Amino acid sequence: MDLRHLLFTLALVCANDSLSASDDLLQWPQISKCRSPELETFSCYWTDGNLTTSGTIQLLYMKRNDEDWKECPDYITAGENSCYFNTSYTSIWIPYCVKLANKDEVFDEKCFSVDEIVLPDPPVHLNWTLLNTSQTGIHGDIQVRWDPPPTADVQKGWITLEYELQYKEVNETKWKELEPRLSTVVPLYSLKMGRDYEVRVRSRQRTSEKFGEFSEILYVSFTQAGIEFVHCAEEIEFPWFLVVVFGVCGLAITAILILLSKQPRLKMLIFPPVPVPKIKGIDPDLLKKGKLDEVNSILASHDNYKTQLYNDDLWVEFIELDIDDSDEKNRVSDTDRLLSDDRLKSHSCLGAKDDDSGRASCCEPDIPETDFSASDTCDAISDIDQFKKVTEKEGDLLCLHRKDDDEALRSLANTDTQQPHTSTQSESRESWPPFAENTDSASPSVQTQLSNQNSLTNTDFYAQVSDITPAGSVVLSPGQKSKVGRAQCEGCTEQNFNMDNAYFCEADVKKCIAVISQEEDEPRVQEQSCNEDTYFTTESLTTTGISLGASMAETPSMEMPVPDYTSIHIVHSPQGLVLNATALPVPEKEFNMSCGYVSTDQLNKIMP
Amino acid sequence: SVPPDPSLPAGPGAALALLSLLVRAAAPPAMCPPGDSGCRFLSVVDLFDRVIRHSGRIHSLSTELEKYLPPRNNELGRPARKCHTATMLTPNGKEYAQKIPREELAYLILKLLQAWKEPLSHFNQHIENLQELPGESLSKAKQISNMVHELETGVEKVTEKMQSMGIISNSLHGMASSEAAGLSISNEANMMSDSDFIHCFRRDSNKVQSYLKILKCRIMPENSC
Repeated sequence: MDLRHLLFTLALVCANDSLSASDDLLQWPQISKCRSPELETFSCYWTDGNLTTSGTIQLLYMKRNDEDWKECPDYITAGENSCYFNTSYTSIWIPYCVKLANKDEVFDEKCFSVDEIVLPDPPVHLNWTLLNTSQTGIHGDIQVRWDPPPTADVQKGWITLEYELQYKEVNETKWKELEPRLSTVVPLYSLKMGRDYEVRVRSRQRTSEKFGEFSEILYVSFTQAGIEFVHCAEEIEFPWFLVVVFGVCGLAITAILILLSKQPRLKMLIFPPVPVPKIKGIDPDLLKKGKLDEVNSILASHDNYKTQLYNDDLWVEFIELDIDDSDEKNRVSDTDRLLSDDRLKSHSCLGAKDDDSGRASCCEPDIPETDFSASDTCDAISDIDQFKKVTEKEGDLLCLHRKDDDEALRSLANTDTQQPHTSTQSESRESWPPFAENTDSASPSVQTQLSNQNSLTNTDFYAQVSDITPAGSVVLSPGQKSKVGRAQCEGCTEQNFNMDNAYFCEADVKKCIAVISQEEDEPRVQEQSCNEDTYFTTESLTTTGISLGASMAETPSMEMPVPDYTSIHIVHSPQGLVLNATALPVPEKEFNMSCGYVSTDQLNKIMP
Repeated sequence: SVPPDPSLPAGPGAALALLSLLVRAAAPPAMCPPGDSGCRFLSVVDLFDRVIRHSGRIHSLSTELEKYLPPRNNELGRPARKCHTATMLTPNGKEYAQKIPREELAYLILKLLQAWKEPLSHFNQHIENLQELPGESLSKAKQISNMVHELETGVEKVTEKMQSMGIISNSLHGMASSEAAGLSISNEANMMSDSDFIHCFRRDSNKVQSYLKILKCRIMPENSC
């Protein structure tokens, strides 16, 4: 109730205000306008207002030279509430002031000069004539002419008038305007003869800006004039709809053609392939084609990976090279590439195509196959997956060696096992046997080596690479003592190796390991001593060909047969491999983690 | 804004013929010397048209310039916008303008123009120092000043031509006296404010245009009057 009451009072107040305001307006008389139609006379008009004053309203005027106000000479001629000044009272170019007042007060005052208040009368005697019609009979031209207002003395040149013509169709609402012009004759072009038009004209003094009133409307009707015409009901408009339809069709056809075209460049330009995650590695074609410098550079650029491999939590991180391939299509572990392509292809994912985006990159048919299988390299990177990938690669390595009838080469980059991934490691160990099984009797040596895993404290899955064929396949030495002709690096082993450690730091190994250069034969390689300055470091591999000498496995001081396997850290080139460390078959109670390498036996000891 | 050229109706042919007869009878013909291709014979009508157009342009320019100089402090209310030419007796209505002799009218036109020449140049120098005016107003003022000079020259030429043709008589007033009279009152223009100045000039330019039109139609009533 309070709200309603409040609203009611508000309404009352507003009404009061409005009423009072309007009352004020009505009361006050005002001079509405003063106008001279022909620059010879002028009149002033005012509004009465709601007046209740005594006396009548007077209009007083004063010229510039006068001293006092005079009263309006003529209240009648111009109508109600007006004052008319005839020619005798009108002086042009002289300032006037008029004021509206009664005896008591002044209501309004205005000052002007007569030449400023000129508003001509409207033109008269409008008429039109037909000029010509179009050949189709649809459109026609007419000419409209009129007379100037009779009051304006244009004959003597006293006043110069400008005219503005407006016309429109009968059922339209908006008038079309023409430019103001001096002449009283105006042509109108291209009117539709089937329609009727309305025409009106107004004038103004040429030096002023305000127009006078409009003339009477002139009706232009072609039918009444009896003119023959063709009635055109429809009008031709621009076929926007057709344009849009054809445009869309054209674009669609162009897109389809581009898609279907065999031009890969064009296709790539317009439909760029969706980037997919790529697995890093080396293109085997790179090795095949023998672009040694390129591969060298690629391999050399993986110094970062060394530390990463060491520090990574992963038990196994396989050789992953950040290679700037020329095509960068596929990156696969270099060891894989080292091995024969047949194996790769056998594990290729040619069979699996476009399963998902991750694998599609590996499986593009037009890109040379570089990966083992669809499952490993194309998987998302995760610890387990990486490990799986690694292990599978191991298996492939084994399989490859089966083909080559060589010993399996296992290359693993051991990682820091201070935080061992028990699950992964167990998996690794679990997966190895299957791989071991995969490697059938064709590689008995592998089996023996595998069996030696548990017995030996050396690392697993290491094979001594004796040679790398130009084809990219790795020739592994059997690694048995029975093999003859292996040079021994005795001095190296005694000096540098920490017996407690089953693994050798790479720094130690550098001096003693040599990678077989591509060109040399196996026996010749063996003759090389390990004291040659063919150290292989990750930095120096690219520069020199390194031959792989006999491993420490031949160390006679060892109780156990020194394994012929060394972990391949990085494959730098077909010229050789970077081996991380060799394993000494030394049983140990503790393992030195200086290098971050731990043998499986060590791991076994560590873990329950 | 430039007023469009009024087209000459077909009538002037007869008038020209008549005039040329008069000219040959009364004075040496104002023809171009033979061989001078750049010279074009201008009739009085043409001259008048040019002059009237010129004065119309001046009036338009002054109207535009007046917008840049609005009146201040309630000057609009005062009827006492004293123009320095207010002392000149000029016809203030159509009848007076038609009754006055043509020579008088021509003389008055010249007097008016000469009365404004000097004050306009002073005004130009004055408003160049005003900061609140835009650059186009300065150019307009300069243009007005130049055009007034040209108009005065044109009116003089027309007057001479008319006098030579005998249309108007060589009265004693002459142009020399009008110049002196014009200069005498131009000094008072310095006391006006800028707004008053331009307002007065605009009004006087309207006067000049109207007088020229009246004069033309009085001399040659058939031509587009």
